[in-house]
This record gives sequence, structure tokens and C-alpha cells, in this order.
Amino acid sequence: MILLCGIPSEPPLALVREALAELNACSVAFNQRCFADMRLSFEIAAGIAGGELSMNGATFRLQDFTGAYLRIMDDRFLPELKGQPPDSPARLSCRALHDTLLQWSDVAHGNIVNRCSPMASNSSKPFQAQLIRRHGFDMPETLITNDPDLVDDFLARHHRIIYKSISGVRSIVRTFDKDDAQRVDLIRWCPVQFQEFIEGESVLVHVVGSRVFATRVVSEATDYRYAHEQVGQAAQLQPLSLPDDMAERCVELTAGLGLSFAGIDLKLSPENRCICFEVNPSPGFSYFEAHTGQPIARAVAEYLIQVTD
Amino acid sequence: MWLVLCHSGDVAALWLYNGLRQRGLKPLQLVSAEVLACSRLWEHRLAAGHTTVDITLHDGRAIHGDGLRGVVNRLVAVPMDLWRRASPADRAYVLQELTAFYVSWLMALPCPVLNRPSPLGLAGAWRHQSHWVWLAARAGLRTPDYIQSSQNPIDRPGALRRRSPPPKVKTVLVIGDRVVGGQPPGALLAGCLELARVSGSGILGVDFADGPEGEWTFVGATPLPDLRLGGEAALDALMIALHRERRESL
Repeated sequence: MILLCGIPSEPPLALVREALAELNACSVAFNQRCFADMRLSFEIAAGIAGGELSMNGATFRLQDFTGAYLRIMDDRFLPELKGQPPDSPARLSCRALHDTLLQWSDVAHGNIVNRCSPMASNSSKPFQAQLIRRHGFDMPETLITNDPDLVDDFLARHHRIIYKSISGVRSIVRTFDKDDAQRVDLIRWCPVQFQEFIEGESVLVHVVGSRVFATRVVSEATDYRYAHEQVGQAAQLQPLSLPDDMAERCVELTAGLGLSFAGIDLKLSPENRCICFEVNPSPGFSYFEAHTGQPIARAVAEYLIQVTD
Repeated sequence: MWLVLCHSGDVAALWLYNGLRQRGLKPLQLVSAEVLACSRLWEHRLAAGHTTVDITLHDGRAIHGDGLRGVVNRLVAVPMDLWRRASPADRAYVLQELTAFYVSWLMALPCPVLNRPSPLGLAGAWRHQSHWVWLAARAGLRTPDYIQSSQNPIDRPGALRRRSPPPKVKTVLVIGDRVVGGQPPGALLAGCLELARVSGSGILGVDFADGPEGEWTFVGATPLPDLRLGGEAALDALMIALHRERRESL
């Protein structure tokens, strides 16, 4: 039995549910929006985690879930909590439920996609970049500073640079332009991350266990996820076959970060550099599946139901 | 240069700073989180082949990552006093950014850092108590049955002990490959070292409840223990760990 956590209508979760059904695998939805009707508890005895999930009048033993897919949205922003003060009983109850779920994910037996703690590496991009580098990927030259003069030097050296958040918040990549140069003194208040702009082919690699699905992304936008806003045209997506050694490195990187499912953001430069920008531990793969036909949801479903020790 | 990073109210850090000085570790500087937060210059570069960290504090002192020989890192959070007048949304954003930045530059230091940062904590992973119990059991330590329910309030520090008997807590310190303080039974030493290893902690405080039959049961762990509990032996172990890690990293 597989536990699917999130908003059931959200495309990635819905696709995995459909794929599990095609595989005749039983799944149970942990619908975040129904938090008020759910109870979750877990216990650890002699290092083994068990427990119960109750909802809709039914109770499930956690140890009967052989796999779980967590595609959780930030519970603070659930529509059911709109207008609730921070300390309202509904908010506190909802938080406690989600806290219990996330803590269980770290100690649960089975195929968990993904456990809570390993997902944290994405909260510091330069930290994650240092881990990525250990797996043989190149990285863009990066400067994090609060000194405008250093930014000037960096721009002069690379001619075109981008800036983006250091954490996972407000993470939109933008080209540093003349307007930004006018206000660059503001960085004295808080260090900002700048990177050389890399020409080349954007590739998004979804890794599920040992399976790899690569997509070529064709766009003129600095951040193809926001292509429509940045260049008025959505990115074009095409399935791509990676060289074996690169695919292997992607699998090793994912496992090395403690993940079983990841979206790896690559750029292949004309100078044959394979640059990895980041690893997303909760990729919204449905957009890529819809445009390329790659069976990513099926692979996630198969991973969830595979038998492990 | 050797460095102790801590918050201004961290009395245990002041104690270890003085102890390390007395043991001849020099030049040794103590830099508080509050001073660090007001730094005049931050320059952190990353590229395929190298990573650098350069900081100029507001009093003119410079910290060059390449020039550091070892760091005792007891930073818990980035002070946000400079941002107290900002809107809550901006303050929250800056806190995320600065925390992510600190995690990176502390990770990038080429010298021994006890403890190295984690995205789960600046001075090492600040794990949930359920995770500690699970790891401790896997490390071979005797653990209490742990239970967490969505019906309970969110955990607060120390709440792990909910299913332990009222404990006489004894704290054992793992520093590098040494176990000091608490006088644990010999059979526990390997488990404590293994817990530090699997949790990636160069320094780890491990709390045990001393049961009526003399059995020691794990009740909690922290990457930021009060090293004073280990006395002089803790300082000796810290000196060894800082130098040993350096030899290994070279």
C-alpha cells in the first residue's frame, strides 16, 4: 500500500496516483486540505517506526505503507486556513499534523519519495553546489558579496552575469542589467549571489532511483521556468538521451544527496562543460511529462512499489 | 589563525576559548555572531576548482578562509538586529538568505570546522528528537520507546523525555574520536562514537537517563553541547580533534 501526500488534484500527485492504479497498486491519499479530519501518530521502538493514520473513519497502520510520495505544499498557505491568525487552533492542529508526517518520513521504513531531512540541501544553493561538485559536475563561477565594487569586477570579467537568491526563497534567475547596476549599492545590506552566465543547452534531468529522463529545454529566457514572463514565449521541451557516464553521475548525485527522486538542472556548454545549477528534491515533473511523453510518473510509481529489504 | 565562533552570551564558548588559549593555541580569535553580522565585507567565491571565503569585520579584522587553521563553530542563528525595522516579509526573506549564505561559507572553509554546518543547523544538524532516537537505536544505544502524535502540541526542546522516566541526565561528550564526561559504561562508548559518525557530528553531546538498574538509556543529543561538562578532558580532546582533522585534511 502506498501513501500519497499532498493535494490530490495537483498534477504530479494525480499522475502518480493514476500510474499506481494502472499497476494495480493500492494507494491512500493524505489530502492536506482535509487536515481537520486526520490523525497521525508514530512510535519508534527498538529503532523500528510504526504508527497509525486515521481519516474518513478508516485507520491505517503506517508499517503497512511500503512506499510514500510526499508532494507537500506549505501548510501555512492551505486555502482552509486563509484568514486564520497564526495561533488559531486550526493552524496549530494543521501544523502538528504536518510536523508529525514530516518527522515520520525521516524514520519510516520503505520507499519514501523523498524523506524530509535530505531535501534541505536545496535551502542553500551554494552549499548544495559544493556537494554537487563532489560528483564531478562543473559549476558556474559564483560570487556572493555585499561589495558593489566586486560585482563591477565580476561583470567586467564575465561580460554577462545573473543573480539569484542564495536560499530557496524567491528563486528567480535574472540577468544583471543597467537598472540593477544603478541600485547595486543596496547589496551592502545583505550579500547577494551572482554567477557568470553560461551559454549552452539547458537540460533538466529527472532521476527516479536508477532511472533517468532528460529533457532539452529550448528558450531564450534567463530562467526558462519563467520564459513567458521574461521573453513572452514558453520554453520548448524535447526528450534527450544523455551519454551513459553523465546519466550515471546524475543517479549518483541524487543518491549522494539522500534522494530517490530529483530534478537536476544542467547546462551543456559549447566548450563541453556540464554545469549543474541545482538539484530540486521535489520536482514538478508533470509539465515535462506532458510535453515530452516521458513516463516519469510511471517510474515514480514503480519505484514506490518495488520490494526493498 | 584559529577561530571560535559563538554568540555573545555563550558562556561555554568563552570557557573553551580561554582553555584553548591556555593550551597554546594561537593566534586564536573569538568572533561573536553579533560582530560577524555587522561585517564590512563579505566575499565568498565558488568555482569548479576552488572556493574562497574572505570577511572583513567592522573593526578592520580580516578573516581569510585560506589562512584559518581550525574553527570551533557554535553559531546557532544569524542575528537580525540590523533588520529590526524591516517589514516582516523582508526580514523573513533576509533571514533565509543569510542563513543559506552562512551554511555555505562555513562549509567552504578548508580547515577543520567543529562542527561543520548543515542545512539543518549552522553548527551541525539540529535534528528532530524522533530522528535522534532512531539514529541512536541504529548506533546500538538503548533507546526509550518514542511516540509522537498530531494530537500533541508541536515539540519543544527537551520534550523527547516524554516517555523516559524522570531522568538523572548524564551528558557524554563525543569530541573527534574521544568520549569524555559522564563516565559512561565502557559498552556505550562505541555507540556514542557511532552516533556522532552517522549524524556527521565532530562534536556531539549525548544525554542518557540513568535507570534504577544502572542501565543507561539515550534521551537526547545535541551538536552544541556545553563542553564545560567535560572539563579539562574536553579541552584536551578538542585540541586533538582540531589537529587530527587538520592532518587528515592535508
